[in-house]
Amino acid sequence: MPLVIFVDDSETALASTRMVTNSMPIEVKQYTEAQVALAEIKAGMTPDLIITDLNMPVMNGFEFLQGLRTVPATKRTPCLMLTTETKAELKQQGKALGLTGWIVKPFKPAQLKQAITRVLRLPA
Amino acid sequence: MIILNSVDELLEHIKEVQLDVISLSSDSLLKMSSYIEKNSLEVDEDISTALQYQDIITQQLNASIEAIDSMKSSINRFNHAFESDESLANESLSKLQTKLAQTLQEAKDKKNRFSGKTSEHEAPIDEIEFF
Repeated sequence: MPLVIFVDDSETALASTRMVTNSMPIEVKQYTEAQVALAEIKAGMTPDLIITDLNMPVMNGFEFLQGLRTVPATKRTPCLMLTTETKAELKQQGKALGLTGWIVKPFKPAQLKQAITRVLRLPA
Repeated sequence: MIILNSVDELLEHIKEVQLDVISLSSDSLLKMSSYIEKNSLEVDEDISTALQYQDIITQQLNASIEAIDSMKSSINRFNHAFESDESLANESLSKLQTKLAQTLQEAKDKKNRFSGKTSEHEAPIDEIEFF
């Protein structure tokens, strides 16, 4: 099963995504600290999709994305930003860093499922 | 200045209340989500949205706590200047007013930024945008 990792400093946000993805044919790992997820990726974890929050302490979503792009295994791994931020400038910044897409919270369960299905090319 | 000490104490109290609200709302949501997961209940769109509001509430309160900390810091700096040299007080008061106005504006900006799709005053936002 494809591995999807979620990174969000809010445990409640992670719980919300878990409730949506638990019926999908994917393996899910969740992290409350981007630097911990990045360390595991550098140690050999190879996710098929990364979904991350933007505003997080210690390492924010953009810094995490920059870190991911320095690791050969995740240089081109699809990455979605899941955030309350709606500013066009931030979306442009994310796009320039190689972000695949932008999801605004609160998300609709069906649309998050569709986004994961589309990016991973899962059977609909 | 005694009145500013009172304002400082009031701000500290508001901050403590906000931290309690963050903690209680998080505990509440985690208990509900644990129940939903344990019983394999399907969440519909409305319930999912309601659960996600907790995250937005936390971000909003954290942003206002940042503003409170900034205001407390500015008040303390003014108080210190006032106690050291009263002749500097007028100049310090002007700086305090400027700093408090900046803090308020930053807090308002963050309120808008962290509202996600909950703001009634904004145009509809596409939920998912692919690049």
